[in-house]
Amino acid sequence: MSEKALELEDLHKRYEETVALDGVSFAVGDGELFGFVGPNGAGKTTLMRIVLGVLAADSGEVRWRGAAIGAEQRRRIGYMPEERGLYPKMRVGEQLVFMARLHGVEEAAARREADSWMERLGIAERAEEPVEALSLGNQQRVQLAVALVHKPDLLVLDEPFSGLDPDGVDALGEALTEEVRRRRIPVVFSSHQLDLVERFCDSVGIIAGGRLVASGRREEIKGSLAEVYREATRR
Amino acid sequence: MNGRQPIWLVARRELSEGLRSRAWRASLVVQILVVAVIAVVSIASGGDDGPSERKLAIHGAAATQIEAKASGAEADYGIRLEVRREPSAAAALLAVRDEEVDAALTGAGLATGPDADPALVALLQNSAAAVASEARLRRAGLSPQQAREALEPRPLRTTVVQPPEGEGGEGLAYLGALLLYIAIISFGYAVASSVISEKSSRVVEIVLSAIRPEQLLSGKVLGNGLLGLIQIGLIALVGLGIALPSGEISLPDSTAETVVLVFVYFVLGYVFYGCAFAAAASLVSRQEDSQSTTMPILVLLIGGYLLANAALNQPDGGLATIATFLPPLAPMVVPGRAAQGELAGWELLLSLAVMVLAILLIVRLAGRIYERSVLRFGAPLTLRDAARLARR
Repeated sequence: MSEKALELEDLHKRYEETVALDGVSFAVGDGELFGFVGPNGAGKTTLMRIVLGVLAADSGEVRWRGAAIGAEQRRRIGYMPEERGLYPKMRVGEQLVFMARLHGVEEAAARREADSWMERLGIAERAEEPVEALSLGNQQRVQLAVALVHKPDLLVLDEPFSGLDPDGVDALGEALTEEVRRRRIPVVFSSHQLDLVERFCDSVGIIAGGRLVASGRREEIKGSLAEVYREATRR
Repeated sequence: MNGRQPIWLVARRELSEGLRSRAWRASLVVQILVVAVIAVVSIASGGDDGPSERKLAIHGAAATQIEAKASGAEADYGIRLEVRREPSAAAALLAVRDEEVDAALTGAGLATGPDADPALVALLQNSAAAVASEARLRRAGLSPQQAREALEPRPLRTTVVQPPEGEGGEGLAYLGALLLYIAIISFGYAVASSVISEKSSRVVEIVLSAIRPEQLLSGKVLGNGLLGLIQIGLIALVGLGIALPSGEISLPDSTAETVVLVFVYFVLGYVFYGCAFAAAASLVSRQEDSQSTTMPILVLLIGGYLLANAALNQPDGGLATIATFLPPLAPMVVPGRAAQGELAGWELLLSLAVMVLAILLIVRLAGRIYERSVLRFGAPLTLRDAARLARR
């Protein structure tokens, strides 16, 4: 079996009384979009934070290209948390450059990437405005640009399209898939919207009650994803 | 990228966003205006106050003679006499009773109200004595010229003796402790509010996916410190720019060392308390909740300030010596002791060493609390929670 870029093995995590993750394992290859769906409280955000390293698992391992993932590798992750977060008063362009710089990109390259992403996501004319002056849809674009601006080796996107209108979903989805195919980056993508996962992802995992109850390549899952999802989350 | 670059990036962001923020600019303008107004007013009202005006009612020839003498000497007493002649002694006394004049001079002597100006009384008494002495000397056979000369000896030569080096620094010591205390509080709260706003906007999660918590913490403390120093520097520049050319205040040469020490201890004290404020702020998610967790630090700071004041009363006492080596107190005590010439060289070195060590410890401790609490949202954590988080 060829080694996948990102492997999660048997992750467990408890918060006081509640079990958030109860032995989750899956793997994502280069250029693969892995989407997982599940109801609220299923453990999606916990899983992503563990991959990011902002949260520690109780047991289990996250591996990057065969070895336990380390701090340097984690800095090469592009992250879009479910709770959106930007500096509200900071200008869009400066914010993107700042974020790229934090990830270790040099000043000139950071400016170049920031300009390029603002162009591609259609927010170039907003570069000098503070983020709080933008519409929510445009703030979402800035958020995606923050995840992509430092040329990440891996993308972790928590509900990347929530709160977007259909045009926004089309625009961001296209920009994202184009970049992923071009640079062959593995992507972990969570959503509670089945149609989005079906539309953009190569592989699907269904998470419920802290366990991955079904997973596989999209075409391997027989029947409609909705049926499988209903079946899986009923238990 | 080395470990210091993220700190600098964070600090630079704090600085540039702070300089750009309307709130910061507005508060700077207000503070500069206040300082400028104070400086201008103190110059305008400062210097020699003009002579105070005193009203005197007189009646009779003797009184006229004394008044003439007094008018010649009034400037020496800081008084300007305004004299009115009354038709009778009774009328003069009535004017005093009705508070129309400050004093009445008649054949019967001097009459004043209950709160007579001692300078006025002295002026009139001495003038009367001079008039009487002059008359006696003339009766004894001296010419008017000789009599006057006998009564106007050369004044004593006076010189002002400066107190010995060090003793004069007392006022500066108290002022330094007060300024340090105010600056640490305002800078500390700036750090706290910046930590909380990052947490309430949730951007902290993204930032921490790129850099370590202690790098973020150090950058925020550094950036807000630089911002505060720029603010204080500009205000001081305006204040001194107005006050110094007027000659109203002057900086004695010996203050240079004290100023350097105040600055060094300000930086150390600010870093110490700033880290504590940042760690306390990381325990809450909303600005409204910050009161509860920053309160213990504020209490420590206020207690420290009061103890520092007590210690400065007796800069060679036991309390002052102990406070020199206690990190929360030292910044407010050490410059003051030095200004009063009561600080031994070894005490300064040891105090600096203890301070630096304490800062290294608190940066680590604050970093641990920050790391474990900054991603927790919702209800504020208690100090006990924080202690538990730091141990884990």
